Amino acid sequence: MQINQRFGLTMIIATLLVMVATVYILFDYQRGNREELARAQGLELARLLSGMSWNELVPQAGKKGLLAVLKQGQSNPDFAYGAVVDIDGRVATEVTRSGVILPTGDIVNEPTGWLGQRVLPANDTEARVEFIETHAPVFDEGVHKGFIRLGYLRPGLGFSYSEMPFLATVMLPIFLLVPFFYFMLRREIKPLKDISQRFEELADQGGLDQIATPPSQALNDFMEQVSGYIDATQTKLEVLNQEHEDLTMSSKLLTYKSNRVEAILQNFPDAVMVIDEAGEVSYANGKSERLLGVDASALLGKKTREWCNNPEIVPLLTFSDVKSNLQANQDTVQVRLDDNSEKSLQFSVYPLFMPNNESKILGRLVVIRDVSESHLMRQRQTEFISHISHELKTPLNVLSMYSESLLTEGADNEEYRIEAVNVIHDEVERLSTLINNLLAINQYELGGVVAQRKHVRMHEFLEDTFTNISKGKQECCEFELEIPREMSMVYIDKDLFRIAVNNLLTNAIKYSKPGGKVSMSASETEDSIEIAVSDEGYGIAENDQKQIFNKFFRSTDDNIRQQTGHGLGLSLARQIVRMHHGDLTCSSELGKGSRFVIRLEKISTQIMDAVAS
Amino acid sequence: MNKILIADDEPHVLRVLKLSLEKEGYAVETSNNGKEALARLEQSHPDILITDIQMPLMTGEELCKHINAHMPERKFLIFVLTSRTEIEHREWSRDIQNLLFLEKPVSIRNLLDKIDGYFAQATDSWKVS
Repeated sequence: MQINQRFGLTMIIATLLVMVATVYILFDYQRGNREELARAQGLELARLLSGMSWNELVPQAGKKGLLAVLKQGQSNPDFAYGAVVDIDGRVATEVTRSGVILPTGDIVNEPTGWLGQRVLPANDTEARVEFIETHAPVFDEGVHKGFIRLGYLRPGLGFSYSEMPFLATVMLPIFLLVPFFYFMLRREIKPLKDISQRFEELADQGGLDQIATPPSQALNDFMEQVSGYIDATQTKLEVLNQEHEDLTMSSKLLTYKSNRVEAILQNFPDAVMVIDEAGEVSYANGKSERLLGVDASALLGKKTREWCNNPEIVPLLTFSDVKSNLQANQDTVQVRLDDNSEKSLQFSVYPLFMPNNESKILGRLVVIRDVSESHLMRQRQTEFISHISHELKTPLNVLSMYSESLLTEGADNEEYRIEAVNVIHDEVERLSTLINNLLAINQYELGGVVAQRKHVRMHEFLEDTFTNISKGKQECCEFELEIPREMSMVYIDKDLFRIAVNNLLTNAIKYSKPGGKVSMSASETEDSIEIAVSDEGYGIAENDQKQIFNKFFRSTDDNIRQQTGHGLGLSLARQIVRMHHGDLTCSSELGKGSRFVIRLEKISTQIMDAVAS
Repeated sequence: MNKILIADDEPHVLRVLKLSLEKEGYAVETSNNGKEALARLEQSHPDILITDIQMPLMTGEELCKHINAHMPERKFLIFVLTSRTEIEHREWSRDIQNLLFLEKPVSIRNLLDKIDGYFAQATDSWKVS
């Protein structure tokens, strides 16, 4: 806007300058013309007069001279004076225009200087007037008598009053029209400038006011329409801006909400899938790959049989009629994956209803959970209970049969009676050991076992335990016991520790080859006691060695399977030894035998000793 | 003389059953596991098989399934001694004909009555097919 104003001002000044220059050139040209005319006229007239005789030029007393005629007849308004002087410069006759005094000026009396032109200042310097004088010699009968001097006013730049009307006529329209056009233009341009300014403001997101009414009707209408258009545009722009902001906000909110839901679903431990009305997967979280071996992105938009060929899964995830069977379903399926691992998957299928309309169904929500762990646990427990009930009922069965047969057979057969009583005694022992093991492990798992420690003589304790176990088994194994007579007292729970040692010895006998050696030895160093149980039996495969201390673990080896067992003995033994701050380790070679070593730290037993006392 | 084959890994059970059944006048053969019993079945043709379930090498369940699959012309009755009372542990025997469960502890008297009854019926009219 300032640029516009400066431009207007510059334009005005430039116009004025051009006007002044034009006027100057005009006047200068006129002045030049006048001076030229004065010089030419003066020279011509002087020559003409020079041809006349002195007497003709200088009038006799009482007569009008030629010069007076000249003055009267002179058409040039610049004519100032005419005079005839003698050789010495004295004036013989003169005519002057009013207000002009003949200027003094000697003429060089040389033939070359007789005819000439010169500029003379007025005698009165105040007047600041100059004359262009032409002089020529005057002769009287061939004798040089004097000079004729003709003077014209030298035209200047100043105006003469006579020219004023002309000047005024020229200047007036100029001076009137220029500002008039200027203001007219300004007035007409102003609304456009206003609009331009408004547009600038609009571009700067500024508010738009009503545009000032322009003067002319047509422009006024145009401006009103433009203004209306701008108003409408502005309103529309504001609405759009508001809508844009609302949209951005709600989009941000939606993004946040959907991200939150997505994060929840992605971090959900189970695979989540949505199957739409068409039976195609419309959503799947990232867990499907781990559980089904199929990438989530590969499921989208596909029907179940397109991505799954497991004959047990396909019917679970195929819905013949969307409207039918709206009950939630739960099924567990054993799946063998491509990497040959087996999994137990629990499929829970829930109908997905519209949030606001329970009668409209959108599809099915499927949650797939890996229940392999709990399934395996359940399987092991079922197996365990089978084992236990077998282990409990087998001696019970023997007891029942022998006692029943005693009633009939025993009456008259002494030998059979003795046999029956012995068997019954053995079976009661067997039952009681098993029940003790079960109770111990149960208590231990419930955290209810508190070691009842006492000072125990190791030699007596081990010898007693060994003898009890090996008694009556001499026919199947060779037994060897090697315990130093002098051993330190240890601070242990005798009953618990007996279970541990018993289990090691029973295993050694159970898994011995016929006639193999079962030995127990003990040794003592400064800080520890070691009890080793060895056999020359089937041995334990390397893979199984890592697992034998796990509860319920049973080797799949045929030689081992031949023997009944419940996978509790070693697990319990290790728990008991660890309870005494010791450790139970195993070393074994397949086909050669096994060696189990209990190591008890004496320091810890001494500390226990100190704490107890 | 009617022949009975007993399969059990518990020697005391074998001893008592053999004694009691022989006393009743049956010819008794014994085996320590399913595999042994299967081999014996093919040599001698018993009229009754008494088997335990949990045995090494071949369990009673495997034995019965094997018999059912490979001996369609079988003419003997099977008694299965089981420690489990739940019905789901007998599911496997659903398709096997002429098979009876006896729950441990087994009463010898009860077993003898059942065997005697079976032979009495078989000799009269009913023949195992």
